[in-house]
Amino acid sequence: MNLETLQTLLPFAAIEQKGNTYNLTVPGENLYEAASLLKKDGFDFLWDIIGMDYGDTLGVIYGLSSSAAPVVLLFLKTETSDKEAPKFDSVVDLWDSADLYEREVHDFFGICFANNPDMRRLFLRQDWRGFPLRKDYDANPELNPIPLGNENLADMETLPVLNIMNEDDKFEVHETVFDKSEYVVNFGPQHPATHGVLHLRVSLDGEIIRKMDPNFGYIHRGIEKMSEAYTYPQILHLTDRLDYLSGTINRHAVCLAVEKGLQMEVPERAHYIRTIIDELTRIASHLLGWGCMCMDMGSITAFVYGMRDREKIMDIFEETCGGRLMANYSVIGGVMADIPPNFQKKIKRFIPYMRKMLKEYHLLFTGNPIARGRMNGIGYLSREKAIALGATGPVGRASGWSNDTRKIEPYAAYAKAVFKEVLRSDGLTFDRYIIRLDEIEESLKILEQLTDNIPEGNYAAKTKAIIKLPEGEYFQRVEGARGEFCVYINSRGDKYPYRIKFRSPSMTLVNVLKAIVPGTKVADLIMLGGSLDYVIPCIDR
Amino acid sequence: MINYIKDIFLGIWRLMQGMYITMLNFIRPKVTEQYPENRGKVFPSERMRGELVMPHNEANQHKCTACGICELNCPNGTIRVIGKKETDEASGKERKVLDRYIYDIGSCTYCSICTISCPQNAIEWSNNFEHAMFTKAKLVRQLNKEGSSVAKKEKR
Amino acid sequence: MFHFKIVTDWIDEFLRTNLGEGWALLIEFILTGFAILALYAVLALILIWAERKVCAFFQCRLGPTRVGPWGLLQSVADMVKILLKEIIHLNHADLRLFRLASFLVIIASLCTFGAIPFDRGLHAVDFNMGVFYLLAISSLGVVGILLAGWSSNSKYTMIGAMRSGAQLISYELSCGLSLLTVVILSGTMQLSQIVEQQADGWFIFKGGVPAIIAFVIYLIAGHAETNRGPFDMPEAESELTAGYHTEYSGIQFGFFYLAEYMNMFIIAAIAATMFLGGWMPLHTPWEGVNTLMDYIPPVIWFFGKTFFCVFLALWVRWSFPRLRIDQLLKLEWKILMPISLLNILFMALWVLYL
Repeated sequence: MNLETLQTLLPFAAIEQKGNTYNLTVPGENLYEAASLLKKDGFDFLWDIIGMDYGDTLGVIYGLSSSAAPVVLLFLKTETSDKEAPKFDSVVDLWDSADLYEREVHDFFGICFANNPDMRRLFLRQDWRGFPLRKDYDANPELNPIPLGNENLADMETLPVLNIMNEDDKFEVHETVFDKSEYVVNFGPQHPATHGVLHLRVSLDGEIIRKMDPNFGYIHRGIEKMSEAYTYPQILHLTDRLDYLSGTINRHAVCLAVEKGLQMEVPERAHYIRTIIDELTRIASHLLGWGCMCMDMGSITAFVYGMRDREKIMDIFEETCGGRLMANYSVIGGVMADIPPNFQKKIKRFIPYMRKMLKEYHLLFTGNPIARGRMNGIGYLSREKAIALGATGPVGRASGWSNDTRKIEPYAAYAKAVFKEVLRSDGLTFDRYIIRLDEIEESLKILEQLTDNIPEGNYAAKTKAIIKLPEGEYFQRVEGARGEFCVYINSRGDKYPYRIKFRSPSMTLVNVLKAIVPGTKVADLIMLGGSLDYVIPCIDR
Repeated sequence: MINYIKDIFLGIWRLMQGMYITMLNFIRPKVTEQYPENRGKVFPSERMRGELVMPHNEANQHKCTACGICELNCPNGTIRVIGKKETDEASGKERKVLDRYIYDIGSCTYCSICTISCPQNAIEWSNNFEHAMFTKAKLVRQLNKEGSSVAKKEKR
Repeated sequence: MFHFKIVTDWIDEFLRTNLGEGWALLIEFILTGFAILALYAVLALILIWAERKVCAFFQCRLGPTRVGPWGLLQSVADMVKILLKEIIHLNHADLRLFRLASFLVIIASLCTFGAIPFDRGLHAVDFNMGVFYLLAISSLGVVGILLAGWSSNSKYTMIGAMRSGAQLISYELSCGLSLLTVVILSGTMQLSQIVEQQADGWFIFKGGVPAIIAFVIYLIAGHAETNRGPFDMPEAESELTAGYHTEYSGIQFGFFYLAEYMNMFIIAAIAATMFLGGWMPLHTPWEGVNTLMDYIPPVIWFFGKTFFCVFLALWVRWSFPRLRIDQLLKLEWKILMPISLLNILFMALWVLYL
């Protein structure tokens, strides 16, 4: 892929290149054409759709990548000056992942996507007034009073699917998600197996699931909107609260993006420390994911074992970072404090312990015929479907999609460690289960190599008291515990970002659930949810 | 048929392995922390962010100059620095000193921006993590002690 | 050897001589009823505590430690709490059936409990077809469960009840078949007779391989009957929150809870009676050991064996993940049922030719 081929492919686009990143600007009416040409050209992975309010115009940025050449990043941009009824063509038939992304953009910017059959709001209530991420949004609480009445959940079952394909370009009740005759069961928002406040409406035929409709937004905090009023160091403390199980990794991503913008030289020691902490977080997160999946399958003992061993990592975190879950460790330019004296010793004690425990896990659960029987042949996700749905992380790798950002674009100290990207080919539930335990093994290898070689030096670079990011766009992707976590910052040279967007790896995972769940049983729904291991605050942001 | 029987026996063997692991843990020492009893034994690590405190020296003096940087940096409005004007007896100049340093632990997210940004190192984290109160108002605390004053900067 | 028969016979004698036949019988019935109810409640409390403690130990935890020494009074405190709780009335629920369901479940389990021989003379109901009685009355509980699921007017409870119905009725088969193996071996259905026959060796030793197979199958099927462990689909807290008793609260929920634990005890007690010799001490070919074993009171033997079986059930429960409903039925109809049918044949041959 180079500039010339792209230009000949898309003669109507303005293209600029920056290393492996291409910025394409196309007029709104050519958007679908450009998207389908790019899709045909191998850009089969739509990692996010970013809505933008440029002030006078509204825009959409499609983040594309290719599974064949994952290093190449492509930003397909388009704008419209119509702020009353902005409309673009939907790309949902090209990339399956576009479904939820377009709904999110619609929710926050009021941009409609023609041909998308499901244009409900994603996070906010259906009757919400205004589009919060627009710059002219009126946050007056009188417009959207907090409803204190008792609302019937059953009403939501027949929520209209809004369709904008009629002549007047107006929202109109077109159809409902579920028929009146269907047996619809609510899983969530309060349910022991949804791992948070996710609301799944499931249409059942006896035990067999026919259709599933996820409903987000119960823990939506508007972190992206809040961040627009926060300085960069202040934004950092919110990132821990996105995917709270890989908080340090999210924070690392934002730090890297800001450092990239400031062109700051980060000491090598800080890189090493950050990498070690990231890997510890990954182990902790996978342990919890493993435990939760086992608990979803009814083995509560396995969950307690997972939590017990995760506690060892939490202790290291408490000693190093000062917090257990909200580690708050990376800062712009390095880390907050130097590592404590017995940091290395503790990790070295942890590595053999964890290896021994992994063996026990395999004996307790992996080999168990009941567990194997339940995971056997359930929840098949093909490689193509995984890419189309944008299921990054362990889920994608279990389907054989090599998507480890640590390998694609080694950041921090990952280039210095030798490790294997765990890939499996079957894409079944068992692969998604076992891949987490295998990744723990690989993470232990990284830890083993890095802990002894932490270079001497400063743990953080000096920063100015007020950090102002030069005008431009900054992007960073890292490998979170659940998949690719991306940060997109649009700065106008202020100390606040003009727009910040976090790519949530968990959101696509719920879409995966929607895709693989029909035809399975109720018990499988819970197990599949556990095998995908999504975290709700990451989705809702 | 042979496979059927083999599967049954293999399955039973695997189940026994699982039961062996649980039995192993049955006799292992337990990991439960008996919290209120072990209060004296379990030390939270030194860096543990329990609550914000303002250290005072023996002469009831703190280091806060009421510059308000922490208040500015705090993302949640947790800190309020209320200063007052005071005339310095030696030089006769009017200067701002700290009157009350209000810290609302109920909205604190323990992000540490205040402690790193403080130019005087006047505030720091303490290990006390037992914040449970019966009313929300009790979570709002004044960090500078009654009648305290600013410590004179030592000349180097 | 001390048997409770001495005590019960003395009470019987005393009442009959003083009051005459009719009154004596009435008073004996009332006394027995009270004794069974009290024992039922006390055993349930002990079991709840034991389960929590054992489960905690399997999970590397300590379990209840706060109420009383080693948390012994925890379940008493829980009982007080559950008695004081409000019983929530549901809209659109079939209230009459809703209330009836919890009673049905506990009555079924109480009736079964009465038929257990704790000791010679400590045995409330001793029919000559006791095994049939046990099987018949214990399967009544499924009616209560189905009613509970249906009358709650909730989708979770409905799914739970339907699962439960399918599960209990299927596993009843293996349960019955494996008990029948013992009946073939002993030639009687009277529980007291079955126990007496095991004086010179428990059936699990006397019956050889078929008895061992029957014992294992009975443990598995019985475990499934109690809706616990890897077979807790009707409850399946990670799927259906609490299955058929999701909508129950207060003492109504307490009844389900109590019945669940007591069913576990009953299954274990029947296993002990039928296979492990009930209250019979362990008798070996060596005389010296036999006399030593005889010094241990039969009641202790009975409870020891029962709690051993309960511990096995807990061990299994806290080790394995839950089965899916189709796997559960497959296990019963494709594995346990054929094996138990063959096993009956095997046992018949064993009895005929050995």
